[in-house]
Amino acid sequence: MVLPLVGLIIGISVGVFFPLTIPVEYAKFMSVALLASLDSVFGGLRAGAEEKFDNTVFITGFFTNALMAAGLVYIGEGLGIDLYYVALLAFGLRIFQNLAIIRRYFLRK
Amino acid sequence: MLKLRQGQAAIALVCVVLGFMLAVQFRTAQDIRSSIPFQRIEDLSQRLSQTEKERDVLLKQVYELRQTAGDESATKESENIKMGAGVMAIRGTGLSITIDDSKRLSKPGENPNLYLIHDEDMLKVINELWAAGAEAISINGQRLIATSEVRCAGPTLSVNNTRYSPPYEILVIGEPQTLENSLKMRGGVVETLQFWGIQVSLKKQDAVDVPAYKGAFRFEYAKPVKDGGK
Repeated sequence: MVLPLVGLIIGISVGVFFPLTIPVEYAKFMSVALLASLDSVFGGLRAGAEEKFDNTVFITGFFTNALMAAGLVYIGEGLGIDLYYVALLAFGLRIFQNLAIIRRYFLRK
Repeated sequence: MLKLRQGQAAIALVCVVLGFMLAVQFRTAQDIRSSIPFQRIEDLSQRLSQTEKERDVLLKQVYELRQTAGDESATKESENIKMGAGVMAIRGTGLSITIDDSKRLSKPGENPNLYLIHDEDMLKVINELWAAGAEAISINGQRLIATSEVRCAGPTLSVNNTRYSPPYEILVIGEPQTLENSLKMRGGVVETLQFWGIQVSLKKQDAVDVPAYKGAFRFEYAKPVKDGGK
């Protein structure tokens, strides 16, 4: 549990000191991608707790989920369908589900 | 503590990326929230000040042109008309009146508006002055002409479409004693205002300079009648 936290802190500090901002038009896609990544990480934590963790699945899932989410929202924008909210809802639901499961493991030890 | 038996390294790696994205997204969201309206405000205020500067320059030009035009044909008649219309700066004996908001604190439950100067108060003072034979009046350097308004504009007073906040300085040309008496009479304007603690100070002066009206005259609807006004 220490290693992921250290990684998160390193990532945040790099992001804070890295002078990169996303153009306003793309901020929407970024936020969806971010949510997908969050979902993947929680999914990974859950799998790790359940001892069903698979490295390849996790890593590929992380990147493809994020990219696919952003891509789908982009396509939805082109088609005039607001997939943005759909993605928010889907990922949000899954994040909370995963959180609940992780919490149970946490309590059970 | 939750025991991660597998995939510590992979999750840590992914967390680095996630943290990076988090930080970037956080900053972007902050930028969006702060920068756009601020930029717009800055842009607008800059444009406003620029336009105001341009307007001031143009007003000065109008004023100067009017002065030079006046020098050429300075007959008594046109001078009188100009003095009456307020497009000429004039000097004479008169009063300078300073009016400021009340320093008294309003008591709880009392309307604090009573302690502020309103357009009505100013209009009463001005009306009294005209009645006492004032020949020219200016408020904070704005000459009152036939179309001048004196009106509350929020906490400020709008005169000739220019806004002023208290204290207001009224310059009047006329017979000083008459003017002073007209304001100070029993139950008169000054007494009423002072009842609410509004500070009114009158000063008789030998030479009061009332500036000319600096704006432009614009008649959109009015047209002169050619045949002698029958």
